[in-house]
Amino acid sequence: MAKATAFDPRPWYLLSPALLAIAFLVIAPICFILVYSFYINVDLGVDEVAFQFGNWQDLLTDSYYHNAIWKTFRMAVIVTVLAAFLGYIPAYFIAHTNFRRKWLLLLLLILPFWVSFIIRTMSWIHIMGNQGAINGVLIWLGLTDEPISMMYNEFAVIVGFIHVFLPYMILNVYVSLEGIDRNLEPAARTLGCTPWQAFREVTLPLSLPGLAAGSLLVFVLTAGSYVTPIILGGPNDFLFGNLIYDAVVSELNWPMGATLSFTLLFLLGIVVVIYSRFMGLNQLYKALS
Amino acid sequence: MKQDSTKRYEKLREVMGNGDIDRRSFMGLLGAAGLVAGVGGGIMTTLSRQALAAGTELHFEGWGGIVSEALRKNAFDPYEAKTGNSVIDATFGGEEEVLTKLKAAGSIDGHNIIHSSGIAWYKRWVDNGYASEINEKNIPNMANVMEAVLKPFRAVTPDHLSAAPYDYGTTGIAYNTKYVSEADAKAMGANLLLNKELKGKIGGWGGDWANRAWYGALQSGQDPNDITDWDAVWDKVREHRGLILKYWSSGAELMDLLAKEEIYVTEAWSGRVAALQAQGHPIGYFDPKNGLAWMETMFVLKGSPMAEAEELLNFMLAPETSIAVAEGQKYPPALDPSKVEMTDMVKGLPAFDPTGKLDGLVFRDPVKWNEVEKDQKKMWNRVKKGA
Amino acid sequence: MRAWNLIKIYTVLVYIFMFAPVAVVLLLAFNSSQFGGFPIEGFSLRWFAKLFENEAIMRAFETSLILGVLTAFFATTLGILASLALVRYKVPGKEWITTLLISPVLVPETVLAVGLLIFLRWLSMPRSFAVLLLGHTMIALPFVVLVVQARLVGIRKEYEEAARSLGANPLQTFFQVTLPLLMPAVFAGALFAFTISFDNITATIFWRPAGSETVPTQIFGMLRNSVSPEINALGFVMIVITVGVPLMAGGLARYFARKR
Repeated sequence: MAKATAFDPRPWYLLSPALLAIAFLVIAPICFILVYSFYINVDLGVDEVAFQFGNWQDLLTDSYYHNAIWKTFRMAVIVTVLAAFLGYIPAYFIAHTNFRRKWLLLLLLILPFWVSFIIRTMSWIHIMGNQGAINGVLIWLGLTDEPISMMYNEFAVIVGFIHVFLPYMILNVYVSLEGIDRNLEPAARTLGCTPWQAFREVTLPLSLPGLAAGSLLVFVLTAGSYVTPIILGGPNDFLFGNLIYDAVVSELNWPMGATLSFTLLFLLGIVVVIYSRFMGLNQLYKALS
Repeated sequence: MKQDSTKRYEKLREVMGNGDIDRRSFMGLLGAAGLVAGVGGGIMTTLSRQALAAGTELHFEGWGGIVSEALRKNAFDPYEAKTGNSVIDATFGGEEEVLTKLKAAGSIDGHNIIHSSGIAWYKRWVDNGYASEINEKNIPNMANVMEAVLKPFRAVTPDHLSAAPYDYGTTGIAYNTKYVSEADAKAMGANLLLNKELKGKIGGWGGDWANRAWYGALQSGQDPNDITDWDAVWDKVREHRGLILKYWSSGAELMDLLAKEEIYVTEAWSGRVAALQAQGHPIGYFDPKNGLAWMETMFVLKGSPMAEAEELLNFMLAPETSIAVAEGQKYPPALDPSKVEMTDMVKGLPAFDPTGKLDGLVFRDPVKWNEVEKDQKKMWNRVKKGA
Repeated sequence: MRAWNLIKIYTVLVYIFMFAPVAVVLLLAFNSSQFGGFPIEGFSLRWFAKLFENEAIMRAFETSLILGVLTAFFATTLGILASLALVRYKVPGKEWITTLLISPVLVPETVLAVGLLIFLRWLSMPRSFAVLLLGHTMIALPFVVLVVQARLVGIRKEYEEAARSLGANPLQTFFQVTLPLLMPAVFAGALFAFTISFDNITATIFWRPAGSETVPTQIFGMLRNSVSPEINALGFVMIVITVGVPLMAGGLARYFARKR
């Protein structure tokens, strides 16, 4: 900072409250967590201060953890891809519609959040359960005699995730579509493109940053979850987050919990780095303009 | 903060007068300033109100819902009116959560009395150094508590109690009478949960390793309080896992799964089944041989104001309060039915023992179970995930 | 045009998907039976009556509202300041700072929650409403920063420069030029922050001070026995407020505008 070129302090005044908050509430706690990962867990809830790599060794050698990482990665990819396919078109619609109250369409997207997350997730049981709405209609129509099982499997978990995270995707894509010059597509058309070509050659590439930002958010949020699989999944549906929760809250083994947390953080960090290699991290906010 | 806002109004009005600011942004800023003043003021009043409140504060943490409503009405409010102390009641998601918080915070600040489950947790709190010493003379209503209930706790802490036993129940087997006959269910006992014909219609509690292991022991023909072959236990748990629709993790979920016929059989908490039966669902319930019984206590943490806590426990143990709570949560109270007249509703609850001796119930031996907990709990968390 | 119709239908379907659970909750708020499955057994308002009688839920609702509003206020303020700095000034290491600001999204909440508790112990600070508020502010901050920054990039510097050249000081410029232009993003960011705070459960469980319940923690506690349909009624009330109030305000505004 002591360089001779005039140092402008003004942005730092503006940044300091937010950075202080982050330093105090994120960085410091994470440092404490890192320290904890070297401790030894002697008994439930009893830790011994130490500097050893036992927890890390467990993590690297035990296939139980690797399996969970793989499952989590797989689930996050599935949810992200589906959310992208499901979310792009509505975002396109909102951006291009002539409907006067666009804000209403956007507000409607966040509306489900007002109903508590647990209640909202559990309400899928009312829809897809054996006595749920879908089976009710199918039986009423005589299409089936026996209710079809749809709950408590991977499918239900995916549905639950998409429902919760789709708004993040739609909003991100919408914002980047909204920023594209409206004349570009017609211009492409006059140059002889079919509507599909015009979309594919002009609009889609320009909206990619928004799509990427939305995908990153959905990916990260999915990979860090643990409640949805507990409520909607069967015995085989769990994510890395569930391991962390088990270690910290049920086994009261904070050193292992800290190790696992750090691992998740590190893996997600890699995803962010890869993302920023391709997109540049500033796209994450530019996409929203 | 208030002065600042006033100054800002003044400044703003000046600027307004000079015509520097248009009317709309003035109103906007005024609104923002008002918000800050209001919010700041609101917090200040709350804080000062807290500071002004006389008397001791007691923090109670329990399972919320019906239980806390009944306690609030029958115990906390009369206690506050009589003593001038205040009871702050909160809801927890489980005792692990409270222990996590206490450990992290390094003090019992904001925690005094906990609605704690079972002797195993009693021992855990004691082992972690949270055992208070209750003077039973200050709790006259303790005399009504069943001797059979007190005994195991006195075994853990011979010199004094750290908690007042409050209610008990069993974790038996629930089955849908439309699909499983009573005769079949009782004939199969704990193995009903391993019935291959019911694949995909079986449930199980995923929240507690010891509960799972208890049933694994029953299914592998061992005495649950003297397990010698843990591999056999976990093999049975794996077998069960392969047949179930899902592990439920809360009473709400258990009731939902049974009521909606997603599952036909599961082990279940007696009180939750009683609640389903009261609503007219065709759910039967029985305790298999050596079925699991448990009790809950009101545990007082070390460092709490004891005299006040004891008086509060006395209010909570009063027969009318205990019975009201029991009727709400559908678990019988720890009071001795031979000393206290119970209502018909309480008498009809599953697991209720009119003799007050609890001879038919088997509780967990805390010494045996706590010593293996660290390893076996880890094992369970893995088996649960298919390892 | 045919393609546009397909898009329209597709969008409607996605909205139906988004609203199915909400619709279920709203319908069940009027169902008379407790284990509200389908078909609905009877219409009743009793869950609303019970909701308003239930002090614990109403108190939790109040706490959640206050917490949400304050979180929105602080997160938006911090977010605007930080975004201004990042967009309007040359800051070394801008990318890193942005990463830092959005880092709370990347860290699993359980980790943040427990980490902060350990840190507080080290500082020997007790849990309090202020800690909870700070925590929520931090969780909401990334979303506000993302939205506000994006909008700010889109506001051309020339407007601000024009104001400055006409003699406005930086504060005046901000309040009279930048802020009004930024308003949609501020509103969206605040809404996001409020929503995130209102719905947060994982971290709240760990941070809340003794005796304070928010709506999600209250529901979480109710899970052990059974969740009462009062919660559905609460959802109904929330949605009516959040959709109804802006719609009514818009309608009234138009009505008066026409009168004039």
